[in-house]
Amino acid sequence: MSFSRIMALATRIIQQVLRDKRTLGLIFLVPLLIMTLLYLVLTNNSTAHTLAIVYPTGAGSDRIKTLIDSQLPGPDKLHTISISASQVDSTLKNGDADAAIIFPADFAQQVLANQNPTVQIKLQGSDPTVASAMSDLTQGFAHQLGIAIAALKSQDGQGVPTVTGASLPFTVATLQYLYGGPQYTFNDSIAPVFIGIFSFFFVFILTSVAFLRERSQGTIERVMVSPLTRVELVIGYICGFTLFALVQSLVILLFVIFALRVHYSGNLALVFLVSALLTIGSVNLGIFLSTFAQNEFQIVQFIPLVFGLQIFLSGVFWPVAQLPAVLRPLSYIMPLTYANDALRGVMLKGADFIGIVGQLGALLLFAVVMVLLSAATMRRQIA
Amino acid sequence: MKEPEPTVAADLEQAARQRSSPESLVVINQLVKQFGKLRAVNNVSMTIQAGETYGLIGPNGSGKTTLIRMLVGLVKPTSGSIQIMGERVPSAKIAPHIGYMTQLSALYNDLTAGENMRFFCNIYGLHGKEQKQRIEEMLARVDLADRIDSVVSTFSGGMKQRLSLACALVHGPRLALLDEPTVGVDPELRRSFWDYFAQLNKEGITIIVSTHHLDEAARCTRLGLMRFGVMLAQDSPRELLRQSGQEDMEDAFLYFASGKEVQQ
Repeated sequence: MSFSRIMALATRIIQQVLRDKRTLGLIFLVPLLIMTLLYLVLTNNSTAHTLAIVYPTGAGSDRIKTLIDSQLPGPDKLHTISISASQVDSTLKNGDADAAIIFPADFAQQVLANQNPTVQIKLQGSDPTVASAMSDLTQGFAHQLGIAIAALKSQDGQGVPTVTGASLPFTVATLQYLYGGPQYTFNDSIAPVFIGIFSFFFVFILTSVAFLRERSQGTIERVMVSPLTRVELVIGYICGFTLFALVQSLVILLFVIFALRVHYSGNLALVFLVSALLTIGSVNLGIFLSTFAQNEFQIVQFIPLVFGLQIFLSGVFWPVAQLPAVLRPLSYIMPLTYANDALRGVMLKGADFIGIVGQLGALLLFAVVMVLLSAATMRRQIA
Repeated sequence: MKEPEPTVAADLEQAARQRSSPESLVVINQLVKQFGKLRAVNNVSMTIQAGETYGLIGPNGSGKTTLIRMLVGLVKPTSGSIQIMGERVPSAKIAPHIGYMTQLSALYNDLTAGENMRFFCNIYGLHGKEQKQRIEEMLARVDLADRIDSVVSTFSGGMKQRLSLACALVHGPRLALLDEPTVGVDPELRRSFWDYFAQLNKEGITIIVSTHHLDEAARCTRLGLMRFGVMLAQDSPRELLRQSGQEDMEDAFLYFASGKEVQQ
C-alpha cells in the first residue's frame, strides 16, 4: 500500500469538491440554514390555544366560577374566553376557540346535591395536534377542578369561600433533572443528531455521485489500470470525503453552540470520532450503491431508501423504544440509530468513551461491512 | 512481493536497452472472451516485439476494445493467456509500465488540464521536479501548453482527446495501449499523433493501437486485421498488401475478410 498514491487520490477529491462552489454551499451552508429553520420552528411557544368556557349561571355559581378560574392554567399556556351555551358551535366554527368546555347552568346546585353533573368538552378537532393538546389540557383542568371541589366539600358541607389551588392532599416538590435542566428544550435534544444526519447524508450523496462519474466518464478504468490498488482507492475516497465531513461537523457544532446557543456538555473529540466512523461507512455505502445506478437520477432514487427510512426510524424525532415492535429490528440495523444515541449521549449526558463504546462498536461494524461491500463491488464497477 | 518503484528515467533506460535486443514484449495465446452468446474475441494469438507499433484494424464490434481491455487486465479472459514483459496478466508488477488510453476521453472534467496530469503522475509515483518537467513536455507535445490551467469541461472534443493521450503517456510507459486515439481528431492532429507514435517507437516504447481508419494502417509496424472477434491476418502492411494482391488496405481487408468466409 502506498501512502503517496492514497494522498494523490484524496487530494484530487478535495480539489474537485473545492472547485464546485455549489457543492461547498451544500456541505457547509445548507446544514446551517436547516438548523436555523428548525430552531425557529421548535422554539416557537407563542401558540397558546384558546378555550371557550360556558360558565354555570344558576344559583351559587359565583363560587364555582372563582374555583374554575383558579384551576385554569396561566394565560401563557391557555387563552380563555367566556361564551354562552348557544354560541359554542359558532365560536368553534369561526376559529375563535380550539375547544369549549360547557358547564350545565345548574352545575353548582347539582354538585351540592351530589347529583354528579356532566361537564361537556367539545374540540374543534380539524388539527389532530391541536385537538390532542386541547384534550389533554381540558381534561387535566377538569380533573384538577374535580379534586378542588371534592376537597372543598370535605372541608365544610356548606363551603366557606376560601378556595386555593393548593388544596391537594399532597405536595409535589420542585422538579429535579438528572441531565440538563428546565432551560433544555427540544432543540437541545435534536441538535446533536443533526451532526450525524448531515455528515451521513452529504457524504453519501457526494461519494456516490463522484464514483458514478468516475465510472461514466471512464476514469475508473484508468485508475484501475494504474498501480493504484482497490484498497488504496477505497482509502483515498475515505480520506478525501471524511475531511469534508469533519469540517462540516465542526461548522455545525460551532454554529449550534455559539449561534443557536444549544446547550451541550461532553467531549468534542468523541463527537468527531462518531462523525468519522459514520462517514467511513457512508463513503463506502455510496461507492457500493453507485454500482447499481446508471446515472445521477438513479442516485437520487436511493435517497428515500437510504435516508428517509433512517430519519423516521433512527430515533431522530421519536425514541426507538417508542416505535412499534415490528419496526424496531429495522432501527437496530440502521447506523444513524447508534450515531444518534452516541451523539446525544456525549452532548446531552456528557458520556465518556466507555459510555458510548457499544454505539461506537456498532458504527465500526457498519463501517467495516460497508468497506467490504464496496471493495467487493469494485470489480463490478469496472467490468 | 515488494518491488522498488521504478522511475521513469530507469524505464526509459531499460526500454533503450530493449531496443538493441528485440524480444517479445507481449505474448497472447489462444485468447477467448465470451459475453453470453457472443464470442467477442475468438481464439486470438499474437506476439508483439518491443519498440513496434501494432495496429488492431477492424470495424466497430470486431473485438478490438475487448482485446485491449483484456490486455490491461480490466476484462478477464474466458480462456487463453496473456503475458506482458514475462508476467502473466493481470499482474501488479507491470502496472507502472503500462499506459492506457480509453475510447472515452476519461478525464476529470471539473479539474484543470494540469490537475488531471498531476493526479495521473502522482498515482504512477512521478513526483516533484521530474513530474513538472514531464507534464510541460507532454502538454507541449499535444499542443495544450497554454491551457494547463484551464478546466477540462471548457475543452473541445479534440482537445480532450489530446489531453487524454498526454495523461496516458505522462508517466513514460514501456507499453502504450491506445484504444481509438484518433477518433474525433482532425486530420492535421491525427498526423502529428502518428508522428509522435513513430518517435516513441524510436525511444523503444511499444504501442498497441486500435483504429477503424484504414488509412492509418500504413503507419503501423505490423497490423492485426480483426472481424467478429477473429484475427483474419497479421503482418506488416506491405506484406498484407502483397499477400492480398491489392493496392490499398481497404481492399486488402475485404480480401482477407471474404477469404475467411469462404473457408468457413
